[in-house]
Amino acid sequence: MATKIKILAPVGSFESLAAAVQAGADAIYFGVEQLNMRVKSAGAFTIDDIATVATKCDEHNIRKYLTLNTTVYDYDKNLFTEIITASKEAGVDAIIASDFAVIMECRRQGMPVHISTQTNVSNLDSVKFFSTFADLIVLSRELTLKQVEAITHGIERHDVRGPSGELVKIEIFGHGALCMAISGKCYLSLHSNNSSANRGACIQNCRHKYTVIDQDSQQELEIDNEYIMSAKDLCTIDILDKIAATGISVLKIEGRGRTADYVFETVRVYKEALAAIDEGAYTAENIARWRKELATVFNRGFWEGYYLGRKLGEWNETDGSKATQKKVYLAQGVRYYPKLKVAEFKLESGKLKVGDEVLVIGPVTGIVRQVVETIHVDNGPVEIVKQGFNFTIPFSAHIRPTDKLYKLIPTEYADADPLP
Amino acid sequence: MPTLIHYRDKCIGCNVCFEMWPVRWRMSTTDGKATLVGGIKKKNLHILRVSPGEDEINVRVANACPVKVIKVQP
Repeated sequence: MATKIKILAPVGSFESLAAAVQAGADAIYFGVEQLNMRVKSAGAFTIDDIATVATKCDEHNIRKYLTLNTTVYDYDKNLFTEIITASKEAGVDAIIASDFAVIMECRRQGMPVHISTQTNVSNLDSVKFFSTFADLIVLSRELTLKQVEAITHGIERHDVRGPSGELVKIEIFGHGALCMAISGKCYLSLHSNNSSANRGACIQNCRHKYTVIDQDSQQELEIDNEYIMSAKDLCTIDILDKIAATGISVLKIEGRGRTADYVFETVRVYKEALAAIDEGAYTAENIARWRKELATVFNRGFWEGYYLGRKLGEWNETDGSKATQKKVYLAQGVRYYPKLKVAEFKLESGKLKVGDEVLVIGPVTGIVRQVVETIHVDNGPVEIVKQGFNFTIPFSAHIRPTDKLYKLIPTEYADADPLP
Repeated sequence: MPTLIHYRDKCIGCNVCFEMWPVRWRMSTTDGKATLVGGIKKKNLHILRVSPGEDEINVRVANACPVKVIKVQP
C-alpha cells in the first residue's frame, strides 16, 4: 500500500513547520545550531527551539527528527552531546546522524538514530552493519530503484532488525535539490571559500556558470551548457508507483533552505499522489497536474534522478529557479476581524489590485493562497492600493502581524513543461 | 589601535581562524564555536584591541572566515 509510505518534510523555519503541518506531513526534520547540513541556508533554529518544534509536532501527531549529520570535530563533542540530550528531553523521535561519534553518543543516551544519506549506504551488508545502531537508514541518492528494491527485499529475507527489534526501515529522497557530488560529499566550496559543504556551509559553486578554457591554446571549449555542474532537481512524481513498489517506508523531501510555500506544495502533492496510487487515481492526467503544481514553487527543472538507471545527471541551464510562479512581497499583516472575516495589511512595496492572486506566509498561519475579491481603504472600496496604505481584504484565515503577504505572478517558465 | 571584532553568535565553528592564527583564536569545547582569546564581550560582540603589526594576518583571517563574522576595524 503506497499510503504506508510516510512523507518526511524539510523544516528550516517556523513558517515551514506550519506549512508542513498544514500540508499533512507525516514527519518533519530540522537542524539546530551549527551542526546540520543547512547551517548557511536555513533559518537558524537553536537548542532552545527544539522543545517548541517538538511540542508543535506533538499537537498534530507528527514525528520529528533532528539532523546532526555534519562532519564533527573533537571540539564539537560537548555541543552535540547537549543537542542529543535536549532532543531526548523534548521527545524528538530520532537523530539523523552520519558521524560515528554522534551515533555512539545517541546510543549512550538511548536516543534512536536514523543513518543519514551522508554515510552513502548503498548495499545490504552496509544496512546490516548499521542495523546495530539504527532502525531506519536513508539510502544513497545514487542508487537505482532495482538496487533499492534488492535492499528492502534483502532486509526481509535476511531478517535484518534494528535496536527496537523491528525490521530495519528504508528511506529515500523523493524530491528536491540534487548535488553533483555523491550524496553531498563535495570539497568545492571548502576549496574556494573555506566554506565546508560537509559542515552545512556549501556556497553552491556548482550552481554558477563556468567557461572551460584550454590553457595551451587559450580557446574556449565548446560545451552545450555553461552550467556544467548544476544538477536539475529530483522529482519522482512520474515514478511514484514504481517507488511505492520497492517497499521503502519513508520518502524524504529535500529543502530546509527553501521557503514555506515550497514545503507546503511539495508535501501536499506527494501526499495526494500516494493516496491516489491506492485509490486507482494515479493517472497520466493527474500526474501532469501534479507536475504543474510542483513547478509553481522553487525548482531548477526536474528529472527523475538516478532511480531509472541514468548514469549522468541532467544539468540545469539557468542560474536560478525555473518555478512557473514567483512571489513578490507586498504587505505585512496588521490584524484580523473574525466577525467580518476581513484581514488588514499594510502595503510596504508595490501595489495590489482586485483580481490578484496572493499568498500569505506566517510562522503560525502557515500558507494561505487566495484571489483578492475586494479591497477597502479608509475612504471605502478601491480597485487598486499603493505603497504606504493600510487596506483590508476578505480573508479565509486568521491573519497576524507576523504574516507576510505576497503577490503571485507568472514567470517566463509559466508555459514550459518542467519534465519534458 | 586596530580592533578585532567577532560576531560570535553566527560562527559555524569551521576552525579556519584557529588554524591560521592560533595566537588570537581558540575553538571552544563548550559550544564548538571560535573564541577570540582575551576578547571582551559587549552585547553580541567580542572585541579585542590588537597591534597594527598584526593587521596583515588579522585581515587574512577575516577574509578567510566563510560566514564573515570576523572584522578588523582600523
